[in-house]
Amino acid sequence: MPLVPDWFRPVAEYMLREGLPETLRLAAIALVASTAVGLVLGTLMTVRFFPLRWLIRFYVEVWRGLPILVTVLFIYWLPAFDIGAFHVQLNAYQSAALALSLWGSAQVAEAARGAIESIPKEQHEAAAALGFGWIGRHRFVIIPQATRRLLPPMVGLLVNIIQNTTIAFAIGVNEFLQAGQRQFENITSGFAGPTAPSYAPFMIFGFVMLVFFVISFPLTRLSAYLERRLA
Amino acid sequence: MFDRPVHILASFEWSFFWDLRGPFWDGFKYTIKAGLLGIVLAYVIGLVLGAVRAHRVPVLNQLAVTYVEIIRNTPILVQIFFLYYGLPVLGIHLEAFTVAWLSITIWGGAFMTENFRAGFEAVPARLREAGYALGFTPLKAFLNVTLPIGGRIALPSTINTAISVLKNTSLLLLIGYPELTYVANSIQSNTFRVFETFTALALCYLAIVWVLSALIRFLEGRLALPEAL
Repeated sequence: MPLVPDWFRPVAEYMLREGLPETLRLAAIALVASTAVGLVLGTLMTVRFFPLRWLIRFYVEVWRGLPILVTVLFIYWLPAFDIGAFHVQLNAYQSAALALSLWGSAQVAEAARGAIESIPKEQHEAAAALGFGWIGRHRFVIIPQATRRLLPPMVGLLVNIIQNTTIAFAIGVNEFLQAGQRQFENITSGFAGPTAPSYAPFMIFGFVMLVFFVISFPLTRLSAYLERRLA
Repeated sequence: MFDRPVHILASFEWSFFWDLRGPFWDGFKYTIKAGLLGIVLAYVIGLVLGAVRAHRVPVLNQLAVTYVEIIRNTPILVQIFFLYYGLPVLGIHLEAFTVAWLSITIWGGAFMTENFRAGFEAVPARLREAGYALGFTPLKAFLNVTLPIGGRIALPSTINTAISVLKNTSLLLLIGYPELTYVANSIQSNTFRVFETFTALALCYLAIVWVLSALIRFLEGRLALPEAL
């Protein structure tokens, strides 16, 4: 008996060719957007201007508090609307990317705030004594140190983002899980009739789990390693 | 979708919130049924396996590590699908409710295991040794020393996991379990009142999550161990 059954080869090829790049692209977009927005919001949360703090706090608590699926469905089903001159209508892929970014940026903001506040007050004072203003102080002294502390949770966040891309399944984005599901439907109830043995779903969803594990496991180890190294 | 833009806020109907109360209450009961069962069982798994991990019980420790790593490194949605579509192949047919509580239990249990392991390992060894010196058996030492102190250390992070378990019940929509998100999604597709329905849904989740988060902050202050320990 061959290691990989004949029916499974095209299934796996389709999943890896069509589904996996979509998953990784979605994760990459969400990671970049979350980091960019989250770092700015996290830094601003340490500023002593309370209305701004409360506003960001509200943003963070809302997007962290909602299940991502609820955010995804909300954004996706919202009818098209105008913001000023902009006509807003998001397709499934954009809705998923936006929902993941809103959630991710809230996570990053909270982690960044914690990392920045963990830098001792003396560092601020020493930088101020050297003549740095608020921006220079953060740009050259505080943020470089905070980044070291932020790195392990950021790798952990990447793992979470990759896993949460599967939620885009709910609105029909053809990410890895969706690709597996489509193949599963295809071989069990396609035009050709059932072309695969009955254990096919077990194998397909097992394969989805395996691929996610192969991607995530090294990253979780890396995160744990960084935590030990940089602590 | 709509061709012309709709001004959502202008057409917002507050009275629609009131009409939602019946179906939302039904969905809420399903959410709580699966969620509470999942949380309680996840605590049980976490306490037992957390103790196994912290005490490095041979064989069981390796099994627990394998379980935790598999669950933490695969998406919960895939786990749900695996249980729902994959297991019938082995002759195990599970209905939606069974998959509902089982999947979030398995997922939550893995995270609870890590929470409790960290809590138990944070208990200073000298406290346990003091217990042994008083003639405690290892089990007695665990129940009277490690569990109360380590459990106290772990409690805030376990509530965080409990919140995540509850939020994950929303994914059960995809296997047709009629919880809160499922209800909202079907109302939305029947009435096209997207904004009102999902705002109400979001408020429900935020109310639950924010109350539990406030509980964590309260407990963190109350349960912090005295410095001298």
